[in-house]
Amino acid sequence: MTPPIASATGSHTIEGIARVVRVEGLVAWLEPEQTTSCGSCASAGACGAGATGLGTVASRIAARRFPLDNPGGLTVGERVVVGVDDRALIKAALTAYALPLFAALAAGGLAQGAYGSDPLTLVAMLGGLGSGLLAARAGARRLDRRGDLAPRFLRRARPGETCHPGQEET
Amino acid sequence: MKEFVLMLIGAALVNNVILARFLGLCSFMGVTTRIDTAAGMGLATTFVITVSSMADWAVQRYLLDAYGLGFLRTVTFILVIASAVQFTEMTIRKVSPTLFQMLGIYLPLITTNCAVLGVALLLVEGHMGFLAATLFAFASSLGYSLVMVIFAGLRERLVLAQVPRLFAGPPIAFIVASLLAMAFMGFSGISTS
Repeated sequence: MTPPIASATGSHTIEGIARVVRVEGLVAWLEPEQTTSCGSCASAGACGAGATGLGTVASRIAARRFPLDNPGGLTVGERVVVGVDDRALIKAALTAYALPLFAALAAGGLAQGAYGSDPLTLVAMLGGLGSGLLAARAGARRLDRRGDLAPRFLRRARPGETCHPGQEET
Repeated sequence: MKEFVLMLIGAALVNNVILARFLGLCSFMGVTTRIDTAAGMGLATTFVITVSSMADWAVQRYLLDAYGLGFLRTVTFILVIASAVQFTEMTIRKVSPTLFQMLGIYLPLITTNCAVLGVALLLVEGHMGFLAATLFAFASSLGYSLVMVIFAGLRERLVLAQVPRLFAGPPIAFIVASLLAMAFMGFSGISTS
């Protein structure tokens, strides 16, 4: 991902490069090119971040394919630059992780206060975690409906362009 | 109550996972080039540390202690952490495929984050009750996230700063990290009276 680009409205966009892997009518399916958030390093083989790691990277990337409206007549194999609002990542992380966690901690605190028993607190926390995950699902659906998490087509990628500024492919 | 608050402050700031215990340094240097990625990674790690610590506490109490299998602690905890990461990944994918597309990239990195195992071992050595152990893990991971976001903010500014060519890139980042660690040492002087 490249640094955020300020738009005319003052909001910022996080850019990333994706490759078109399938076209179905007016919808193009894209696969993100960025394989790891850390860019992967020399020890990538040991931590599972590299292509020679635990062998799950390809399936993870395939699972991250996403649809995009195809107004520009994109074809399979083309590389494009897509962008999401920079607040989308934080909203998504808060919805997916913070909500269930706070629900679990609140349930555990209440159970400990009421019964003072470790096993019951454990059960209450698991219940809170489950409730929080259900709430997260509802929150994610709302964000989806508002289109907050949807990536937008920005432009076709230049030949050799990468998601790391100043590091063009050779 | 006061003990809980002191434990939370101690775990998050005084004995910070990254700057005082030097755990999780790989992600600290690798994922802090942008604030939003650092925050995403921090929240994902917070979730995994807290959930895996809950499981680790239960495994330690009802399996390892009960059957005298304490020598298997490290191996068992690694298995529990890997399972917790897998559980998180499957759950996020099921809860919202869109969220998984945005956040799933962080999860494989957490499996090998030594901060997760370090916190689990620390809470077992502390012989805490379940709620105290979970809050300790939560506070430790909040401290981790805080430092990740602060350091990412500093690195975003460093990109715009004029740095001597010899120090550009990782060298100046390491110097800033050391200054940040020294700043956090100030928390050890907090008076509890």
